Amino acid sequence: MSTIKKIRNLKDLSTSNDRFEGAHLLCPGCAHSIIVRELMNCTDDNLVISSNTGCLEVCTAVYPYTSWDTSWIHIGFENAATSIASAEAMYKARKRKGTLKDPDAPVKFVAFGGDGSTYDIGFQWLSGAVERGHDFTYICLDNEVYANTGGQRSGSTPLGASTTTAAAGRVSYGKKQMKKDLVGIMAAHGAPYVAQLAPNKWKDMIKKMQTALATEGPVFINAISACTTEWKFNPKDTISITDLATDSLVFPLYEIINGTELNITYRPKNVIPVKDYLGAQGRFRHLFKPENAHILEQWQKNVDAQWEYLQRREEARV
Amino acid sequence: MAEKMELDKVVVWDGNYAAAQALRQAQVDVVSAYPITPSTGVVEGYGKFLSDGYVDGEFIMVESEHAAMSGCVGAAAAGGRVATATSSQGFALMAEVLYQASGMRLPIVLCVVNRALASPLNVRGDHSDMYLGRDSGWIQLDAFNAQEAYDLVLMAFKIGEKHNVRLPVMVHQDGFITSHTAQNVHPLSDDEAYAFVGDYKPLDELLDFSRPVTYGAQTEEDWHYEHKAKQHKALIDSRVEIDAVFAEFEKITGRKYKRVESYMMDDADVAIVALGTTVETAKMVAEELRKEEGIKAGVVAPRVFRPFPFDAIKETLANVKAVGCMDRSAPGGALGALYNEVTSALHSGGSTALVTNYIYGLGGRDLTVDAIKDIYRELDKNAKSGKRSGKIQQFVSLRGPKLEYFE
Amino acid sequence: MRQSENPKFLGTEELLGWDEVTQGVVLDSFVDEVDNVAFLKQEERPYAEFNSFTASVADWRVVKPIYNRDICIDCQNCWIFCPDTSIISRDKKMIGIDFDHCKGCGVCVEVCPTNPKSLLMFEERQDIDEALSKWPEKKKKSKKEEEK
Repeated sequence: MSTIKKIRNLKDLSTSNDRFEGAHLLCPGCAHSIIVRELMNCTDDNLVISSNTGCLEVCTAVYPYTSWDTSWIHIGFENAATSIASAEAMYKARKRKGTLKDPDAPVKFVAFGGDGSTYDIGFQWLSGAVERGHDFTYICLDNEVYANTGGQRSGSTPLGASTTTAAAGRVSYGKKQMKKDLVGIMAAHGAPYVAQLAPNKWKDMIKKMQTALATEGPVFINAISACTTEWKFNPKDTISITDLATDSLVFPLYEIINGTELNITYRPKNVIPVKDYLGAQGRFRHLFKPENAHILEQWQKNVDAQWEYLQRREEARV
Repeated sequence: MAEKMELDKVVVWDGNYAAAQALRQAQVDVVSAYPITPSTGVVEGYGKFLSDGYVDGEFIMVESEHAAMSGCVGAAAAGGRVATATSSQGFALMAEVLYQASGMRLPIVLCVVNRALASPLNVRGDHSDMYLGRDSGWIQLDAFNAQEAYDLVLMAFKIGEKHNVRLPVMVHQDGFITSHTAQNVHPLSDDEAYAFVGDYKPLDELLDFSRPVTYGAQTEEDWHYEHKAKQHKALIDSRVEIDAVFAEFEKITGRKYKRVESYMMDDADVAIVALGTTVETAKMVAEELRKEEGIKAGVVAPRVFRPFPFDAIKETLANVKAVGCMDRSAPGGALGALYNEVTSALHSGGSTALVTNYIYGLGGRDLTVDAIKDIYRELDKNAKSGKRSGKIQQFVSLRGPKLEYFE
Repeated sequence: MRQSENPKFLGTEELLGWDEVTQGVVLDSFVDEVDNVAFLKQEERPYAEFNSFTASVADWRVVKPIYNRDICIDCQNCWIFCPDTSIISRDKKMIGIDFDHCKGCGVCVEVCPTNPKSLLMFEERQDIDEALSKWPEKKKKSKKEEEK
């Protein structure tokens, strides 16, 4: 019988037995594994996990090693959502037919994908699985770039970021397009629960992940995953960069229930300027040149507008 | 609990419906599918069974064929019986997942209703989709009519699920000509069919929580080769299991299947090698020509397209003087697949047969009795003169100036 | 502290033949059945050789964290934010660092709230006892910081 693990504080959480093992190949300081560990530790239920091709997958399952202490499947770049949704369908079928080895064991189905595989190449697969209403949670590990292949732009890359395929150069300031609002898109699917979270705010993250797992039906979560290699900061600063992201409201933390009830779940005591967040990362360094000042201004305007929108939507309950 | 259906001893089913019935009788746990002409009838038939209470499994109508096969892989890894159907563009779209499925050694049954690949867009039957999947690592069986579509789908589950095989299996049938043509079929009863296929026995399943497994690891240059060699070996070795299942099926039904079907080959001077419905037409023509023109004609068909029945082909064609390899797929700058694979088998046996490659029937172009007669006559002329009358690659029933290549 | 005597560095595995690799490239996490691994501590798990837990990435490090038990308040920040499951916590107490799996990223030091910090980065070859004996003093807030 699935029960929500009682976690009152970090010490409670620390009694969890990690099911994500070390000696994986992720970069030192990578936030992906912090997020994965938090997900796996927020529940004691059995987990069946799928991953799209990407950093997480490539660094945790290179023959002859696996870092997963739960059943895990990777098929390709696009289809983690479909593979976990169909594993869940098989679970339903076998439960009905009585062919499961341990039919009473509680189990949750979780898919992980990077932003490249979630916002871009695997979007259709995610959309379809959510539309069909399978009972699973999809967590996008959003580092705003195709990190695993060396830092190319994705639909999640924000304005002005320098990536290898939309580089800052003599005649360009980097990516010209805005970041896709995937959380809004998935809320519009009518998913019972979608949320944006960050690993630095572990309490908020754990609460949302527990809600996600307890929600019957499809859940989409966007998790900011600060990437030391592609965002270009010292590996030790992963959590402090994430702090800047959440406190500047570049990465607001909120949830949307049934597509209409938006709740902002973190209101920073002191909102810091966006340029403090941008300035801490090498991928935005060129924005501080005088000719790009208008981009910095635009950034602050966009973040302010986004925050305003979230607040209005929270009030209006639409 | 799924309801059972009372079936007549002889029914009138088209190839699509026959496949759907076989899926129903096999009690598939998860069907993950997407519609595409001309395979749609398989999933529609199955969907209707579900709605009427004859199916206990899950039926996921996904949002693309790539998702359909992805769904099959995820569900198969979760330890149950899985199947789907597709054609042409859908088959092409799921191509990467086909390779992933076989590399992961997951039993899945895919009903391929063969249809031409675009461009130009075409919904009729030809074998270009089958040829696209040649190297995908699947066991591939070919049905020439609705009865065989039904029989082979049932057998496909049994073959692929054996723990010493553990490979996905395709069952091909010609689009429209088989899939949409109502024919007599002698089905097994629901109980007989399920007893033959048997319960699914999981191996390495995601849903055994006492034994967590990792599927889909990466292998680099230090490991990849050994894994692929192991997979190839499994595919080659599956011949033994395929033969065993064919034998078991014959015991129950009296219908005998062989990895290479041969008709009147004992004394044949000339032979056509073909796949699909062409085989039945060729049989008819061969009989007629023997009677009317004394041409010692025979027909050879690789029932099991993969693993390619190299030895059986070599043996069956050993004494033939002229062979026509008929390829129903746009050849793309080379000789056709059947031609290439048959001649390599013949060559290894030291055969001196004259082999011609006949490209035909593209996009559903009808292959007439007269056209086949002409082919046999040409083969006979070649055999008697010891010389090929034209170039190696010919185009059957092509309007316009004659095209022929390779000599 | 946990560190293997004969570390199994990545890439040093015996290269096996096609007949010995696993079918379908499937990897087992454990060699025995487990009841629910969420209830088993790492030291209780029957790890398979395939499990990366049995491997070492110690050779990735250039610097390593040294942990001062006397100053630590067991807040568990380092435990939750370690990307490499290398902070060993049992019964809500920090008991050490898994030096087989620690990559020396330094996140644990950054998130440690004590003053002085209970974790500090040192050269890889630094002797632990020596480091502990020379632990820095509590940092006094500068007048500027106090005025903030």
